[in-house]
Order: sequence, then C-alpha cells, then structure tokens
Amino acid sequence: MNLYEMKKNTRCFIEGVPNNQLLSIFGIRPGCEICVLTRQPFHGPIVVKHKHRNIAIDKHFALNIDVRLVN
Amino acid sequence: MDCHVEYDGKFDHKNAVLLIGNPNVGKSVIFSKLTGIHVMSSNYAGTTVQLMTGKMEANKAKVPVVDLPGTYSLQANSEAEMVAVNILNQGGRVIVCVLDATNLARDLMLARELEKFQVPIVYALNLVDVAERKGISIDSKELGRLLHAPVIETVATKNIGIPQLKESIAYFYHASIDSSERLDSSFKTLHDESIDEIVNQVETISTVKQTWIDRIGEAMLRPIPGVPIAMFVLALSLGIVVGGGKALRSLLLLPIVNDFYVPNITALVERFLSEGALQNILVGEFGVLVKGIEWPFALILPYVLLFYFVLSFLEDSGYLPRLAVLVDGLLRKVGLPGHNIVPFIMGYGCAVPAILGTRASTSYKERLILTCLISIGVPCTAQTGAFIALLGDQSILALLFIFILSFGVIIFAGTMLNRWVPGRAEPVIIDVPSLLVPNFSSFMKKIWIRLKHFLLEAEIPMMLGIILAALIFETALIHLLGSWLEPLMVHWLGLPKEASITLLLGIIRRELAVMPLLEMNLSVLQLIVGSVVALFYLPCISVFIVLVKEFKLKVAIYLFLATTTLALLFGGLIHQIGRFVLFLLER
Ligand SMILES: Nc1nc2c(ncn2[C@@H]2O[C@H](COP(=O)(O)OP(=O)(O)O)[C@@H](O)[C@H]2O)c(=O)[nH]1
Repeated sequence: MNLYEMKKNTRCFIEGVPNNQLLSIFGIRPGCEICVLTRQPFHGPIVVKHKHRNIAIDKHFALNIDVRLVN
Repeated sequence: MDCHVEYDGKFDHKNAVLLIGNPNVGKSVIFSKLTGIHVMSSNYAGTTVQLMTGKMEANKAKVPVVDLPGTYSLQANSEAEMVAVNILNQGGRVIVCVLDATNLARDLMLARELEKFQVPIVYALNLVDVAERKGISIDSKELGRLLHAPVIETVATKNIGIPQLKESIAYFYHASIDSSERLDSSFKTLHDESIDEIVNQVETISTVKQTWIDRIGEAMLRPIPGVPIAMFVLALSLGIVVGGGKALRSLLLLPIVNDFYVPNITALVERFLSEGALQNILVGEFGVLVKGIEWPFALILPYVLLFYFVLSFLEDSGYLPRLAVLVDGLLRKVGLPGHNIVPFIMGYGCAVPAILGTRASTSYKERLILTCLISIGVPCTAQTGAFIALLGDQSILALLFIFILSFGVIIFAGTMLNRWVPGRAEPVIIDVPSLLVPNFSSFMKKIWIRLKHFLLEAEIPMMLGIILAALIFETALIHLLGSWLEPLMVHWLGLPKEASITLLLGIIRRELAVMPLLEMNLSVLQLIVGSVVALFYLPCISVFIVLVKEFKLKVAIYLFLATTTLALLFGGLIHQIGRFVLFLLER
C-alpha cells in the first residue's frame, strides 16, 4: 500500500521510500511509525504526524511511499 | 531590507562566528540576542535568504557574526544552501549550530555535515520550552558528550541560556587562536554513533496530555474545521484592517489633521507668503504641506499599521504554514505549491519584500509566476488604503467589485502562466511548526521595524510626487498633459482631463495613482474606472527596480507593458459597458 491510500487517523509503518533528500531530512525513513492526521482536497498533500511533528507530504511523494498498517 | 546585507564576499568570514541551523529553529532570534541587531523572525521555513552580519561582544572584544541562510542540508540544492556552503568553505572561527529541541533527529543531520569543516562548534539547543510542552526532554550534557562539543539549552525569545551561549562562543573564539591543537579532540566525527542512536540515548518522550494549543494547531490542518477556521481568520484579518483602519482614520487621524493641523499650517504659510505659485505649492489644492501630511499619515498609515499588525501575528503564531497546507491543492492549479501563499499575502503589504521572498521558491517557474501575479493584480496596503479612502465612503459595492476583479484576474493570469511557462511545480514537504503564542516584545519590534521602513520608504517619494503634482497643476503643464492624453483619458476611460496626473504619479507610488482622484468629484462609475486603472497599472518604481535586479530587464519590461495594457483595457471596457448599462437604465 502507498501512503496516499491511507485513511485519516490510521497508524502505519514506513516500508520503503523513494530516494529523496527532503524525505530523509524529515525523518521519513523505512521503519519509522507515522500517523495520518488528515488528507487535503484537490490532490493536496497528506499530513502525517511523526514524533510530535506535523509534516505535509506532497501527493507525488506519498504515492511512492510504501507503508504497512499498524494493528 | 535595510538591515539585510547582500553577500558580497568582502566580509571577513574567517574571523567570524558563523550562525547556522535548519529553517525555523529560532536562529533569527538568537542572532538578534547575540548582536543586538533586530532582524525579522517568523514562524515558518525560509525567512532568512539573505545574509545578515553583525557584531557581538566576546571577552570585551567585538567579533563579527554571520547569520547563514537556514538550510536543511549542505548539499547546495538551493540558492540559500549554496551561499551557506560557500561561506563555510572559507572557514570561520566558531560555528554556532542552532538545534530545535523538538526536532533533534532532523537537526543532527545538519550537525553531522558541519563537522567536516574543522571549525569548533557550539550547539544551542533551542525551543526547549516548546519541547517540554510536548513531553520531550533532552539530556543536553549527554548530547554534548556524544557530539564532543558544548550543548547549551536556550529559550531564545525569553533570553534563557543566551548568556551561557555567549560565554561559550567567547571561549572557543579566543581558544581557537591560542592553540589550535587543543581543540583537536572536538573534531572527532560523529560516525561512531548513528544519529538514531544518539537520539535514543539523549531523548526521553513522556506522554503528556496534548495541550490545547497543540490541539488547535492540529485541528487547523484538517479541512474540517481547518477551512472554516481559515475563512474566519481571513475575514477577521480583513475586518481588523479595513474596519479598524477606518475607525482610526475617521475618529483620530483625520480630525487631528483636518481640524487642527491644516488650518494652522495654512494660516502660518499665508502669514509669511503672499498669494501666488509658491503658496499654492505649499498649501494649495495639492499643497505639499497639506496633502503630504494628510495622505500618508491620515489616509494610508492606519491601514499599513493594521496590516502589519495582522501579518506579524499570523507569521509569529505559525498559522501561515497551516494555511499553506490547506491551499496547496488549489494553488497548484495556478502552478504554485501551497507555501507560496506566504509571499503572496506579503504582497498585499508591499510587493518588494514579497518578490525578494520568492527567492526561497524551489523553481524558476514558481518564482516567475508568483512575481507576475503580485505585480499584476495584488494592490499593496498603501494602495488598498487609498481605495478605501476613495470608494469606502461612496460605495462599498464598488470596493468589493475592485477586489473581486483583482482576484479573478489573478486566477486567470495564474492559469495562463502555468500553461505558458515551462516546468512544473515541484513536489514539496511542508514542515508545520508548532503553534506559538507570539512573544510580545519581538512582535511589537517587528511591527515597528516594518512601520519605520514604510515611513522612510514611502514618505519621501510621496512628498516628491505631491510636489510634482503641485507643480504640474500650478504651471499649465496639466493642460498640456491633459490634452495630450485626452483621447485615452476622456474618450476611452471617461475620466476628466486632470486625471491624467494619476498615470504620471502612479509610476512613483501605487497609491498616488489613486489619491488625486479624491479631489475630483467623480461619479461612482468614474471612481470604479479610475480604481481599476490604478489597480492594474504599473507596480511602482521600487518594484520595477527589484524586478530588474531579481530577473532580467526583459521580464521587467514585459510586466511593465502587460500591466499598463491590462489597466487601460479593463478601465476602458468598464467605462464603455457601464455607460451602456446606464444608458439602458435611463430609457
Ligand atoms: N517558544 C519559543 N519560541 C521561540 C524560541 N526561539 C524562537 N522562537 C520563535 O520561533 C519562531 C521562529 O524563529 P526564527 O528566529 O524566525 O527562526 P529562524 O527561521 O531559524 O530564523 C519565531 O516566531 C520565534 O519568535 C524559543 O526558544 N521558544
């Protein structure tokens, strides 16, 4: 599953990320756990919570981030 | 602006303290605490693109401090990063790396990159108060041990930890001349521990109940209630600026100027000067001593003041990045990623800092589109104040019409430019900072800096413009200009001949394209036409200069032509259509 498919208020583990410096700077790396806070209309970004931070991730990035749901 | 120093390579970086950090970690605040120079800080990424320099005291000596642009890394990905890398390569005496206590893992990546420069580093672990609020505590001693460098906890806005930081900087500044070998141990690289390991060792996160401010901060990001909140915030901002400005103007400033100042100054001048040209230039219809005070101080200043009040509050609270997230989807339709909403809103203050602010944009396309939109359709606050003075009392509907028209044109122009300009809007990640209650004293200082800037920048050109107007009216030049522009002004736009003066003065400042209309007893239709022409007409001369500097002369000239054509086209169409409608109504 990719991050963009996630519903809001779901928690997931990151499994794979495209090689992009911005993503790694914000700690979006395989193995980390994030919570989807909200999705935005008009193909806007998806906002995730990662260790107390809110980060808005562009749709283009989110489509390429593989995630696994946390049960 | 006035305190920003462009990077010219002349500054002695080798002997300087280099201040570096990720965007929005409080670096601007720390810089001003160290040097006493007040710089604009804002609660969003990308405030500092220009280079700031200042001096701080270290062991009774004045030592230079450079504030490098906020960067996430040193890979030279953007203009800002290139500048930072460039300076670091030249070396320095001490690096002060500001870390955000709520974002340690991210900030340590930059810290690691700094180690290769072989300059002693002092870490300021800032924003510890916000970290505490979120239940994050960091063992700074242990962090210092792992980083082989001092780590000083700070709350920059409250001056906590700043004295210790200064001491530490002074120590390393002087130590590095005395014996360079002694510091060798501090050049150990981090590579023995990974960043994650370091973070695990020093950071403890306890689950605290989310504070109300953090809950609001999150709610603002969800479309519901975020979008209604955004509308409320914008409506409230508009209400404060327009309503508050009007109240200030009519209850306080106009009475002072009209009932007290003008009669006195007129009497004074009339006592010493006999009737004639000079007297008219000073206190006549366009008297410098009358309009030169009334226009900027009574009519424009209230709006400028309140606009900067609102803007500074939105900036410091951290609301703007939230707005950026909400509008990202929509704004991309005109080729702009959401974070461009910030310079766009700033454009309603003044186009100059807004255009400079586009330097933080990731692509040329983005910069160009944003600059064009601001130049074409965004009135600055001074001009907005002038519109309100002109239309507000006559017809609120007309005022509304002007703003709706400007919005329509912006959307249309944006959509077109998005098609024409090659390239695409880059995907971005917006780091949403914590919502903060603005620090009162830095908030006030910021408004003051902006206001001072306005007074210095606006008053002189406005006076000059008014002198020019007075001269043109006093001599027969106005008739010459009027008959020369008659086909355009009278036949096409339906304005009186004297209104030609606005096209001339509008080049100097945008509000001067509006103000003279105040004195001409125009009909509502004429007022609308005049305002539309002024709205789309050239951005002022300062903007033109910035356009030439930041882009090419060609871009500036294109914009010059496009805006003028648009202004005359729209103004004329509205006049012709309006006349036709009135004609139908009268039958
Ligand atoms: N609560 C709190 N706010 C801070 C602290 N340091 C800076 N700020 C605020 O954080 C925001 C970002 O600061 P700024 O200096 O502009 O960050 P820069 O982008 O690194 O220059 C501003 O609104 C500051 O007033 C701090 O230690 N505590």
